[in-house]
Amino acid sequence: MSPLETIPIHVINPLPASLADPVGLTGNAPPLLHELSESVRRLLDTGETTAIDLSALPLTPADLVWLLEKLGTGEIAVTLQANGESTLNETACPGIWWVTHHNEQGAVTSQFIEVALVPELVKAHPLDVKRGYEYLELMMSDL
Amino acid sequence: MQGPLIETLVQQGVSRRTFLKYCATLASMMALPPAAGLAMAEAMAAAKRPSVIWLPFQECTGCTESITRSHSPTIEGMIFDMISLDYQETLMAAAGFQAEEARHNAMKENMGKYLLIIDGSIPLGVDGGYSCIGGRSNIDLLQEAAQGAAAIIAMGSCASYGGIPKANPNPTGAVSVSDLIKDKPIVNIPGCPPIPSVMTGVLAHYLTFGSLPELDDKGRPKAFYGETIHDRCYRRPFYDQGKFAKTFDDEGARQGWCLFELGCKGPVTYNACATVKWNGGTSWPVESGHGCLGCSEPDFWDAGSFYKPLSTPADPLKFVAAASVVGAVAGVAVSVANRAKKGAAKSAHETTTLADLEK
Repeated sequence: MSPLETIPIHVINPLPASLADPVGLTGNAPPLLHELSESVRRLLDTGETTAIDLSALPLTPADLVWLLEKLGTGEIAVTLQANGESTLNETACPGIWWVTHHNEQGAVTSQFIEVALVPELVKAHPLDVKRGYEYLELMMSDL
Repeated sequence: MQGPLIETLVQQGVSRRTFLKYCATLASMMALPPAAGLAMAEAMAAAKRPSVIWLPFQECTGCTESITRSHSPTIEGMIFDMISLDYQETLMAAAGFQAEEARHNAMKENMGKYLLIIDGSIPLGVDGGYSCIGGRSNIDLLQEAAQGAAAIIAMGSCASYGGIPKANPNPTGAVSVSDLIKDKPIVNIPGCPPIPSVMTGVLAHYLTFGSLPELDDKGRPKAFYGETIHDRCYRRPFYDQGKFAKTFDDEGARQGWCLFELGCKGPVTYNACATVKWNGGTSWPVESGHGCLGCSEPDFWDAGSFYKPLSTPADPLKFVAAASVVGAVAGVAVSVANRAKKGAAKSAHETTTLADLEK
């Protein structure tokens, strides 16, 4: 064995930003909660959905951890495998979803808080349903 | 290959949700509401692919590298599935006369409809002789290709503003695309290199809305270049609190404080690095601990030292004294400052002035 092979090599994917070392709270997260409460009220009153783009806001990793902790964990956690993993997790406040898109390398590509009854991405598209229906018909005709 | 995009994608095993997810990310990058992401997905799924001709001029191929290497293969495939890339010297298999013929055919068949992408500046010195392809000068090729183009996308700082070839003393007489072409819509996508998603975003906008996105006074899409790096920087709160890293290895640097005093050009640089990031969202210069160079601004190369703060401190002599105490401070900056100081002292026996320190 060459000396080089004795060097242990570990490939470690960087933690998502929200779990990395906190660098300090900025105080920018609490106002978001007010915006969320407005959005939830709109959802109840008019059915209008909202998405807040977290990467567009001046939030530190610590702010995101703070937000995650405040919003808590709900009953539903959806995992989507589509060109990298996406998680669409209900928070302790039903109607508020924490949506994180990863790429195939595991890095976060975008992160949203979605206020909706069901996140848009979870719904099946009618054309896909039609394709599934055709497949089902075909399968049954072969039985 | 000319059917709706979504059919091509499905054939390649790209699901609708993958595409939706991609569009959601793209829309978020373009600061569009989620409803627009959905509309974008619907429109792009049904879009016919426009013909694209990509001409490289006085450039380093960094822009092409940026586009082709920064995302996972599936996304990269998507970028090229959205368009019919009919001519790109670095990527195309054809060479010589065949390649030139492909360009001529694409230009003829899609007269008035194709998108023209230019990377690199155009040298005007010695009748354009500094950069020729197939025996023809860049300016000649540009003027020919621009005639039938629906729009021109100037990729990278060289095509947008002249870039490094134009840097003082500009030996080849390099100019930008918009210096030469006045009668076509031109989108500048500056950056050295530019962020690939910005180009995809411009194409997505073109496919979705049939028009080019709204541009700022420097010809850049507002969606990506609407705000400064500084305004969208995750270190911005530290700037507001007056917490600055003073050297690249002090406690402030370790705490991730603002890099303003280390020469960060974020406050005067309009680009999307702070939100879109680089290398598939892994990181970006400021996140890795180095200030912004301002590469998406005109003449960034001649804008002074990368390590000189934007506004000079009130008492520069005290600043340098403090810096030399901590030693290896901002290595380059100090050595430059010291050299200037020494040189000035040697030649004129004069007191070091602010102007010396800025050299």
